[in-house]
Amino acid sequence: MTDTAPAPTDPLAHDAINAADGLDPVNPAYTHVLRAATALNMVPFGIAASVFDYMLIRHIEGPYGLITALAWALAIFAIVSFPARRMQRWGYKIGEGQLRVARGWLFRTDTIVPFVRVQHIDVGQGPIERWFGLSHLIVHTSGTHNSMVTLPGLHADLAAAMRETIRRHIQTDFA
Amino acid sequence: MSAVPAAVEPEWQRLHPATLALAIVRLGPRSLNFVPALAAIGFAGKWAYVVPALLAFLLFSLVTAWLQWLRFRFAVSANEVVIESGVLSRQHRTIPFDRIQDVGIEQGLVARALGIAKVGFETGAGGQENDADLDAIGLDAAQALRTTIRAHRSEAVAPVAETETSVAEDRLLFAMTPHQLLVAGLFNFSLAALAVVGAGMQLFDNFLPFDFNTFNPADWIDIAEDYGLDQWVLAHRWVAGVGAAVSLLFIGFASGIILMLFANWNFRLTREPRALRRTRGLTTRTDVAVPVRRVQAAILVTGWFRKRFGWHELRLQSLASDGGKERDHQVVPFARLDAIDQVLAEVAIARPDDAQPWQRSHGIIALGGLIGATFAATGGLIALSLGERAGWLGLIAALPIAIAAFFGARFHRWTDLGDSVAIRRGFWKPKMTLLPHASVQSVDLKTDFILRPLGLGTLVFGVPGGSALAAHEIPAIPISVAQDLRDRILAAGARR
Repeated sequence: MTDTAPAPTDPLAHDAINAADGLDPVNPAYTHVLRAATALNMVPFGIAASVFDYMLIRHIEGPYGLITALAWALAIFAIVSFPARRMQRWGYKIGEGQLRVARGWLFRTDTIVPFVRVQHIDVGQGPIERWFGLSHLIVHTSGTHNSMVTLPGLHADLAAAMRETIRRHIQTDFA
Repeated sequence: MSAVPAAVEPEWQRLHPATLALAIVRLGPRSLNFVPALAAIGFAGKWAYVVPALLAFLLFSLVTAWLQWLRFRFAVSANEVVIESGVLSRQHRTIPFDRIQDVGIEQGLVARALGIAKVGFETGAGGQENDADLDAIGLDAAQALRTTIRAHRSEAVAPVAETETSVAEDRLLFAMTPHQLLVAGLFNFSLAALAVVGAGMQLFDNFLPFDFNTFNPADWIDIAEDYGLDQWVLAHRWVAGVGAAVSLLFIGFASGIILMLFANWNFRLTREPRALRRTRGLTTRTDVAVPVRRVQAAILVTGWFRKRFGWHELRLQSLASDGGKERDHQVVPFARLDAIDQVLAEVAIARPDDAQPWQRSHGIIALGGLIGATFAATGGLIALSLGERAGWLGLIAALPIAIAAFFGARFHRWTDLGDSVAIRRGFWKPKMTLLPHASVQSVDLKTDFILRPLGLGTLVFGVPGGSALAAHEIPAIPISVAQDLRDRILAAGARR
């Protein structure tokens, strides 16, 4: 792990980052969750831009329609193309008494939480996640920085299994 | 235990009656809030109502304070403190002694005159509102309460035979004499008060009995005029400049000394069986204990100038916060390293010796500052091209920002001491963080599109306590080194 050359990873390869770091990918269905969440953000943005265009630009005789077109193009681009990328940038590894969660590419953060440091564990499921049968795992630590580490995009059964694994470790530590 | 709830009716106590006097004193500042309302009444043309309205407000406040006092009661039983409060909505709070990390005692100026003190129970629960206060009870009662709770805690943990020896263990670790305070105050030179004084002079210019602005050389010339020195001064304008500079220096030193005296008068740090206890303050006296086992990290702060004389300040990062403002506990405000080492030994944190080799962060961390400088310069240029003369400020500011970024980047260093990591940063205010491996709860290894091509990464440590904004980090070190260090730290944590 320590002798991995970090520089020459191809940013466009599918699971290049996770493979290089020895991480497991999250469930591909998480793409749909991200896409739905992005849509919920971007559609109001597009509508707002259209309304702005209609209310203001038309009256000051500016280039009517330009802002609307740009906003919707951006929204569609964000909804169609980004979520798959973002899903591929998430990675996790559970084992050796620690949970490892990595996320992001432009700004990549690779977090390790030893099981013995876990205060408590949440498994959560939002409405969109429930639709696709996914859950997210939240691990709470007593550190001020990283007081909660979230790992999304897990199959509900897997999240429950991971929670049990971590819970067993916490119990054996205190026993 | 729940079988006999009614049998043990606790012995209810009220707050000290002098608390009401305290409430009256607090009315002064609070009635300032009422000024806008009074002004509104006045502007409405109904001046006759101003005084009755003020009286009604004062009466209402007093009655409220009295009702609150009447409806506040607390009881100290064998194992817990029970507090009932609230006039309209009642609140009943039970705090078991076992959950009280420490008892803080704080006395303001008025409270000291009245012989009462505010008792704060530190439970370690997050957030200020989760901790309970008794504001205020008699000082002797407060100390007795603290002794009771501490005795309970040591009983619960240690065997009975051990308590006697541990009580005798209280000893003075560090104290500040008036002479030391004076020296510390001189190094505490601060022009922060200057801004306040300057702003005040601007604001009250018309109200001051004398028409004089310390920072205006023209006023110094006026003074000279009164003494018939004006011709001489006009010929030697530098005298006016020197006058302004001297008053600047005087205010800087005086405010430094005064702040130091008020904050740290009669500073005493004592070692108690399981905590470091600090008492200090001239007007507001505080009495705070930092449980030794809850100390997470030690932070040594100094200044570029005082460092040359060997003066340092020691803060301890703990789960509990030091009062409302400070996140870390200042346990030694101003001392040489040998005195600080004694305190560090009590919390079992070692300071690296001079022979310790340090590793440096990559110079790329200057980039942020350089980008800032570029922005300042371009902003200045744009402003200048638009004919705004203030644009020069941007250009002038850009140079020191760039130099500070370049220079400051050279002072980011770190070293691994085996069971702790030492991180150093800063030139203007050198700061060294001593972070035991065992305190680390989680480790982030961060890279981004700038660090990754250089093969660098930043380590960020999740540590209990401290500020959420300033996490401990080692910026821009080679990835492989960072991974090694991360593995070592996490292995140490797992062993414990």
